[in-house]
Amino acid sequence: MTANPAIALPGAPEGDGPRERLAALFDAHEDRLYRLARRLTGSADEARDLVQDTFFKAARSLQSIPSGTAGEEEAWLVRVLVNIRRDQWRRASVRARSAGMLRAGTAIYPSTIESALITKRVVWAALDVLHPRRRAIVVMHEIEGMSRAAIASCLGISAITVGWHLSMARRELKSLLQPHIGDMR
Amino acid sequence: MKTLGDVFREADPLGYEPRRSDMERQLIRRRVLDRPTAAHAGAMPRRRFARAAAVVAVGAIGAAIAYRSSIAVDVVAAVRFEVHLAEDTPAAGLREVAVSGGTRRVYLHEDAILTNSDIAHAELIAGRTAATFGVALTFNDAGAGRIAIATGRHVGRPLAILIDGTVVMAPVLRSPITTSAVISGDFTRAEAERIVAGIVGR
Repeated sequence: MTANPAIALPGAPEGDGPRERLAALFDAHEDRLYRLARRLTGSADEARDLVQDTFFKAARSLQSIPSGTAGEEEAWLVRVLVNIRRDQWRRASVRARSAGMLRAGTAIYPSTIESALITKRVVWAALDVLHPRRRAIVVMHEIEGMSRAAIASCLGISAITVGWHLSMARRELKSLLQPHIGDMR
Repeated sequence: MKTLGDVFREADPLGYEPRRSDMERQLIRRRVLDRPTAAHAGAMPRRRFARAAAVVAVGAIGAAIAYRSSIAVDVVAAVRFEVHLAEDTPAAGLREVAVSGGTRRVYLHEDAILTNSDIAHAELIAGRTAATFGVALTFNDAGAGRIAIATGRHVGRPLAILIDGTVVMAPVLRSPITTSAVISGDFTRAEAERIVAGIVGR
C-alpha cells in the first residue's frame, strides 16, 4: 500500500434494507440539503446539525418517504428540514441574535475586504428575521433561481402563497437593509 | 441599482466559505447510518457539533493493526499524541519512520504541528465493524489555526499521526484540516478508550 486512503468510508451499501435506503438517500440528497441548510442558518455548524437532524428524522420515518422519483424524495427531505428549522426558530434565540447583529453593524465602509465581509454578514443576518418557511422560499427563488411553481410543488403549497411570501419578504428585508446598503430594486 | 437578489447572492456564505471536504461529509454519513434504530433509541448519546468546530475526518484503514500489539494496555497512562507533516521521499532534515501495520515508510518533518495541548476534546466513536472503534478529536483554537495553516500548504502529501511515538497512520491530505479529525484505526474498545482518556491535557 503506497498511501492509506484519506477517508474511511463505511462500506458501500448493497441490498435494499433500511440502512441501504438511508445510505442511498444520504448520497443522493445530502449535498443539496446542506446548501439549503447553510442558507437557512447563520453558520456552517448549524447547517450541519440541521442536515444531520433531517436524516435522523428520515431514519425514523423511512416508510413515509415517497420512493418514486428523486424529486419526490428531495421534496420530502426539504420539507422536513424546513420544519425542523421552524421548530428551532420558535425556540427564539435565532431571532434575538440577528437583531443584535443588525444594530451592531450600522457603520459600514465597504472599501476594504474586511468590511465587505462584515457587510455580507449583516446582509445574511437580515434573513434571520424571516420565518424559516419564508426564508426558504426567498433562498430558493432569489439565490437558487427556482421558479415559483417549482418551489410550490417542492413545499406542497400553492404558487400564489409562494408569491405572497416573496413580496412580504422583500418588504421586510428592504426596510431592514436600507440603512446598511442603501436603496434596492 | 442592485436588486435584493443581487445583494443576497453576493452575501451567500456558500460563495466565500471554504468548500466542505468529503471527509466531513463522510463523518455525518456515518453518524446517520450508525445511529441505533428506533428500538434502541436513547442508548447512544447524540453527538452534536461543537460550535465553530467543523469536523474533518482523517481516516486510514488498517494502519493501527500492528500498533495494537505494540501498546501496553494501561488505562490510566497518558497518551502522547503528535501530528507531523511528512513526505513520501527522503530529503535533508527529515526523519525516516515506519508506518505501523505495513512496510510503508514516511519521512517526518521535525516539528510537530499538533500535540496533546492542542486538543480540546476526544471522543470514542464507532469503527468500521461492531467490534472496532475510532477516536474523534476536536482541536482548540490555537491547534485549529496551526493545523489549518500547516495542512493548507501540504495537500497531496502525507500527514503522520503518532501515538506514543509510533506512526499509527499517515493519510495523504485531500484537503486542509481545520478543527478536528478522526483516527479511525481498527482499535479495540479498550485501546480506543485508553487513547480518549489519555490524550487530553498532558
